[in-house]
Amino acid sequence: MEKKAGISRRKFLAVSSGVAAGSVAAGVVAGGLAGYFIGQSQAPAAVTRTVTAPAGTVTTTVTAPPKRLKVGYVYVGPVGDYGWTFAHDQGRKWADARYRNVDSFYIESVPEAQALGAIESLVNQGADLVITTSFGYMDATAEAAARHPGKYFVHISGYRSGAAGNAPQNMSSAFAEFYQLYYLNGLAAGAVSQTGVVGYVAAFPIPEVVRHINAFVLGANYSYKKRTGRNIRAFVNWIFAWFDPGKAREAAVALIEQSNADVLAFTEDTPTTLQVAEEYTTRRNRRTWSFSHYNDMSGYGKNSHLTGQIVNWGPIYLDFYRMVGTGSWQSVDIWTRIGDYMPYRWRRPAEKSTAGEVDGTLQLPPVHPSVPSEWQLEIKRRYEEMKELLFEPFSVEGNLGEPIRDQRGQVRIKGTERADWKMLWEMDWFVEYVESELPR
Amino acid sequence: MIGIGFVESVLAGAVAAGTVFLLASLGETYAERAGVLNLGMEGMMIMGAAVSYIFTNALGHGAALLTVLLVGLLMGLLHAFFTVSLKLNQVVVGLAITILGLGLSGLMASSEIRGRIILALNPEATRAVLASQEAPKLPLIPIAGLKDIPVIGPMFFNHNFLVYLSLLLSFVMWFLLFRTRFGLNLRSCGENPSMADTLGVNVYLMRYVSMAVCGMLGCLAGAYLFIGYQPFWVEGMTQGRGFISLALVILATWNPLRAVLGAYLFGGVEALQFRLQVLGIAAQLPYFLLMLPYAVTIVTLTMLSLESVRKRVGVPAALGVPYSRE
Repeated sequence: MEKKAGISRRKFLAVSSGVAAGSVAAGVVAGGLAGYFIGQSQAPAAVTRTVTAPAGTVTTTVTAPPKRLKVGYVYVGPVGDYGWTFAHDQGRKWADARYRNVDSFYIESVPEAQALGAIESLVNQGADLVITTSFGYMDATAEAAARHPGKYFVHISGYRSGAAGNAPQNMSSAFAEFYQLYYLNGLAAGAVSQTGVVGYVAAFPIPEVVRHINAFVLGANYSYKKRTGRNIRAFVNWIFAWFDPGKAREAAVALIEQSNADVLAFTEDTPTTLQVAEEYTTRRNRRTWSFSHYNDMSGYGKNSHLTGQIVNWGPIYLDFYRMVGTGSWQSVDIWTRIGDYMPYRWRRPAEKSTAGEVDGTLQLPPVHPSVPSEWQLEIKRRYEEMKELLFEPFSVEGNLGEPIRDQRGQVRIKGTERADWKMLWEMDWFVEYVESELPR
Repeated sequence: MIGIGFVESVLAGAVAAGTVFLLASLGETYAERAGVLNLGMEGMMIMGAAVSYIFTNALGHGAALLTVLLVGLLMGLLHAFFTVSLKLNQVVVGLAITILGLGLSGLMASSEIRGRIILALNPEATRAVLASQEAPKLPLIPIAGLKDIPVIGPMFFNHNFLVYLSLLLSFVMWFLLFRTRFGLNLRSCGENPSMADTLGVNVYLMRYVSMAVCGMLGCLAGAYLFIGYQPFWVEGMTQGRGFISLALVILATWNPLRAVLGAYLFGGVEALQFRLQVLGIAAQLPYFLLMLPYAVTIVTLTMLSLESVRKRVGVPAALGVPYSRE
């Protein structure tokens, strides 16, 4: 059974470790596990001290705490509300609670142009480790790393690190990747769609968003075609903004009214699409579904929340705490997927799947009961297989045994191929089921 | 694919998206007709959005809208105090009010402060309400009989009451401005305040009144954007819509009825661009369409700097000039 596509699990892991992301992901598992235990078992060292008191000499054993780790965070938005920054702050609290011997502090709502000043002030406050959480902070982080060789820096969502060779060795980068979750979301979408049309509200045409769209559409086609024998049809609306509820609204409405889509996924930083789906479901008599993105948004669409993609940054942060705290720093370029940082990465039977729970850095929110039970089980089975990278969305298997073609009909993935890190990272084409063009 | 359904959907979207611009530009029209340039519109709008968000969650729609009007009134009077009484530069004061509004709204609506405001007003508010970044939307009030007329029905008669109110206001405000003594007095303050003064018009009072109206409508526009259109709070969610309304006033040549057309035109661009995208027409067009409202704004402002254009479109002659009695 492990001989899927003629390649064994072990062999695949060995092959994939040739790919940068694969090797990092594998390293991350080991590192993460170590991080869990080292972080938790950091016992205070006992020091014996002799004190000379007037009455004579008394020897006492004083417990001297090991140096307390200081970690500073730079956030792009306010921490109070849900959203990208909220997720990072939850991750910080998660890591602090497990590491314990740490003081963490943050500066919120830092404009990207002021990142360097914010990083400097955290260093001045004594931070040993500074974590910056917006793509736009990347160059400032590298600059600060060059200025403070004795301190450590982690940048989220960029591509500069000592490991990648384009930043000092005291800088690492990290990101939690969603395309597998989007594929699972697609499976759920195709399992409930009545119209056979799915829509996507997307912020900017960048490779990250393009691969999420493709993964979602591949998943939706998989389940829809298996159900009905017909291909899924997908439409994409670009809003060119991360935060504009008004634009996201019009984009979602157009997908529902114009394209007849009844499941809407999105990559932008508000739950507007889910709110619109809820509005059409409850007030305009049109059953429409949507998802959570980055945080649990189910409260914004009580009747229309299908599943989604949620991130838990905590284990990544804890791993860096551990590296700095134990003096075992190495520059890494982390890109986590399902399975990474999970205490037990090994696959379980679908019935006992951990899908739906917080496990590792990614969470598939509970799938709505409207999804038929055989598809619920299929989603769990795929989730479990993804833990061990036994199943990859961008493969012939992920497309019902057919090669993956782009919109022009050109075959992109065939035979036993899988998308590698480079293909995913540079994706600039849509799968054939997407009918919208990609703006260039 | 382009049938009557498409047209109906675009036009209904145009009215829904355009009402934000309409409410704001009606207010701005009165301010500018009286000679006060209000660049604080963006700040007033976002304050309206923030207040409607917080107060709807605390006390419901009615109390929220009243508070929005009150806040708008205060912001309008604040602007008038600086520009009319203290005779400060209107551009500087307006921009200051925009910056104030953007900052204050973000502060008010931050989870900590908004939670305290809601709890103070309504001690029974649940945790879920305190944490929520949305608020209940204004109910749709379809007008029986009229809403089933093709095209016109979905376009005008299947909205919430603020849309109907804005349409009604544009007629009423046009009538007041051009058919009554009050309107003549108000316009004379923008054309030739010293002449108006010698004829017994209280220029200061007129300008205060028009700024009060402008502030209230500006905040109401923000409230519509939030509880009437898309109820989700993010900092800076107005995204320049206040400034777009300023350009709209000029495009409508300071006429409330023409503002209706202009507002729906701008709303139509917002609705149309996404419907064209999914139709696959001009896939590379989004960049162009997204830029359009801003481009129109820049072009109208540039054209207005030409003396001949100013004369032809009838810019209030004393617009932007503080009046002081000699």
